[in-house]
Amino acid sequence: MKNKRKTNLILNMDQDQLGDFFPLLQKGVTVEAHVGCSLELLLSHQWQIPAEYAAQRITTIFLNSRPIDSLATAIINEDAVIALSGAMPGLVGATMRRGGYYAAMREGITHHATNGNVVDRNATVRVKLFNLLLPELGPGFLQRGIIIPAGELSRFFNGKSEYFWQGCRSALLDNFPILPHLLSREDLFPDQSTVRLSVNFPSPD
Amino acid sequence: MDKIARIDMGAAGGPKVTVGDLGEYAGLGGRAMTSLMVAAEVHPLAHPLGAENKLVISPGMLSGTTGSMTGRLSVGCKSPLTGTIKESNAGGQAAQVLARLGYAAVVLEGKPEGDDLYKIVINKDGIQVIVDNSLKLMDNYPLVAKLRQEYGDKVAYMTIGSAGERKLLAASIACTDPELRPTRHCGRGGVGAVMGAKRVKAIIIDDAGMKMRPPKDPEKYRDANRKFVEGLRKHPVTGEGLPAYGTNVLTNVLNEAGGYPTNNFKSGQFADSAKLSGETQAALEIQRGGSATHGCHRGCVIQCSGIYNDKDGNYVTKQPEYETVWSHGGHCGISNLDTVAKLDYMDDNIGVDTIEMGVTIGVAMDAGLAEFGDDAAAIRLMEEVEKGTPLGRVLGSGAAITGKVFGVERVPVVKDQALPAYDPRAVQGIGVTYATTTQGADHTAGYAIATNILKVGGDVDPLKTEGQIELSRNLQIATAAIDSTGMCLFIAFAIMDQPETFQALLDMLGSFHGITMTGDDVVALGKKVLSAERDFNTRAGFTKHHDRLPRFFYNEPIAPHNQTFMMKDEELDEVFNW
Ligand code: SF4
Repeated sequence: MKNKRKTNLILNMDQDQLGDFFPLLQKGVTVEAHVGCSLELLLSHQWQIPAEYAAQRITTIFLNSRPIDSLATAIINEDAVIALSGAMPGLVGATMRRGGYYAAMREGITHHATNGNVVDRNATVRVKLFNLLLPELGPGFLQRGIIIPAGELSRFFNGKSEYFWQGCRSALLDNFPILPHLLSREDLFPDQSTVRLSVNFPSPD
Repeated sequence: MDKIARIDMGAAGGPKVTVGDLGEYAGLGGRAMTSLMVAAEVHPLAHPLGAENKLVISPGMLSGTTGSMTGRLSVGCKSPLTGTIKESNAGGQAAQVLARLGYAAVVLEGKPEGDDLYKIVINKDGIQVIVDNSLKLMDNYPLVAKLRQEYGDKVAYMTIGSAGERKLLAASIACTDPELRPTRHCGRGGVGAVMGAKRVKAIIIDDAGMKMRPPKDPEKYRDANRKFVEGLRKHPVTGEGLPAYGTNVLTNVLNEAGGYPTNNFKSGQFADSAKLSGETQAALEIQRGGSATHGCHRGCVIQCSGIYNDKDGNYVTKQPEYETVWSHGGHCGISNLDTVAKLDYMDDNIGVDTIEMGVTIGVAMDAGLAEFGDDAAAIRLMEEVEKGTPLGRVLGSGAAITGKVFGVERVPVVKDQALPAYDPRAVQGIGVTYATTTQGADHTAGYAIATNILKVGGDVDPLKTEGQIELSRNLQIATAAIDSTGMCLFIAFAIMDQPETFQALLDMLGSFHGITMTGDDVVALGKKVLSAERDFNTRAGFTKHHDRLPRFFYNEPIAPHNQTFMMKDEELDEVFNW
């Protein structure tokens, strides 16, 4: 993100409101990441996703719209788009599956390892979560923080129901408490700025 | 299932019912029954809407039993849309009820003189064919509501809407679901037009007084069914993904892969796909008091369907499937799920195939009849079909006809049947099946069945590109076999990944019929069905040159991968070389 100003926003939400964030997560959110490493390391070391979970639950992965078969050989560049999905039905579902029996059927779009020079550095990537992974991995990404253009965040808050705001227990804007309802004010975030949004879902009291 | 009913709609003095034994069709069900009978008995050059064509209705081999997932019904004939042999199948209650009454097939033959419209009542006492002109030009929802007043709620209904009566080539046959809604359709290939040509508006199937079909070895059957259900429940696709999101869970993934045909196959990605996704749809259904998990017939443990309500909580339609959300959604540049749901309801009510209609509207948009993304215009075009206007009749006759009438070059059809929701330029292996299937472009023709377990034609290295021909062949063979069992194709994942679940399926088939069933037997059945279908098509004038995709797939690269369809003709010609 090359925008000048970045605002920090932390929300503490009820579990019931997790689903409200799914549209953002399936469309894709920007997150900070150390790039230049393999997807395997990104998942396991940076995103703390256990290898066993990745093997069993994240059965379909796209890197820049290309299905991947090997986590170890897929190298992450700055601004990479990574989409993670659970198991899919149908022949196409089987075809897209990581290392699956029908992988040849989408050979033309499969991601193949490249040996290009990828600089090892801190940057951002875009991550999309689909289906079963939304409730399972969504909270982790939201807690670690997503970077979102102010306009998009305003549109997100504007459409929210009273129920959503009731589930927002507290909010901190650049470390200052703010009444959650005020977050839907369109002039709250400066134009062209970005917001680093972290959402916690504490267990019920 | 020890008898076949033949109803000669054109008999002198009025329709005549003959019930006979199974003869050469003994042991068959579903697609095996419909395809082998059509291939043997229908003149390949018959006019599909003429007296020589037959409409064969057949429950699956295990339908009407206590087995799970066994409620698919096959309908076969010579297709008025494609001119090929056709098998179109649907869920709903009809297969179970018909099977319990003992019918392995009900065959509509001949064609009546005159304008009378008929309903057929099938129950334990036999079959009655009754003139009922009060049903003329009724659409499926009001039609079923009217029939329920007379025949009640403990029966299954098979009906055609106004599209079938008008003999439109996209016309479907509706089967009622457990709530007696006409939501499950034998959609593909214009089978509803064939029923309309025979002047049959409704079939009322009443199994009062009948019992479940008894297996030869009840204990083994019960045990196999239990293991089969366990396998379905524990697999992430059949036990979690499909129940939670339905087939529309594919939208996000296909879009990400660049294989989501958008604006009549001009791009492989749709910017607003997330608004149409299964995840969004399921959340909306639950929020509005509908349901994201619902079975299309009793005995389904996967329950990939759902109930779609409007914002006030009123029923609109069943949960539109992935192919429908795509055809009426991204294919037409439309991103509003409420619009898609309304169009799905209209399809079901008028009685037309949702894939064919959505693709046709996209072609009409390309012709300039409406703008891509214009929700209101899409609904207006469907209203033309509903009213049966000249434009509506063109549209209701499918994408190929509409493309010809309006001079559109980019018409996504094979053998005149609209392509489903996957772009073959991104997923080339799917294109092989679209091009070569006996049915015209059909996504279910090559389903992800356990070909790795079946080892159809020996071991295949799927990671070799040349393996795609073998894969497509094997998929088509395995699908033809599963289509004959009456099992829903969505069992595919569990039997592909879990050998013990596949074995449980074989044991269900074997213990029901008192035989030992092996993978080889399944392969032999699939090959027999496909060979009969290919032979019929050959005699109907189809050659290898019909086993091709439209040229634009070879000439127009599609974003984001900028690929064309690259499979060579000689390779396609190898698919049926076994
Ligand atoms: S899985 Fe879906 S299509 Fe198959 S029987 Fe169940 S509800 Fe019907």
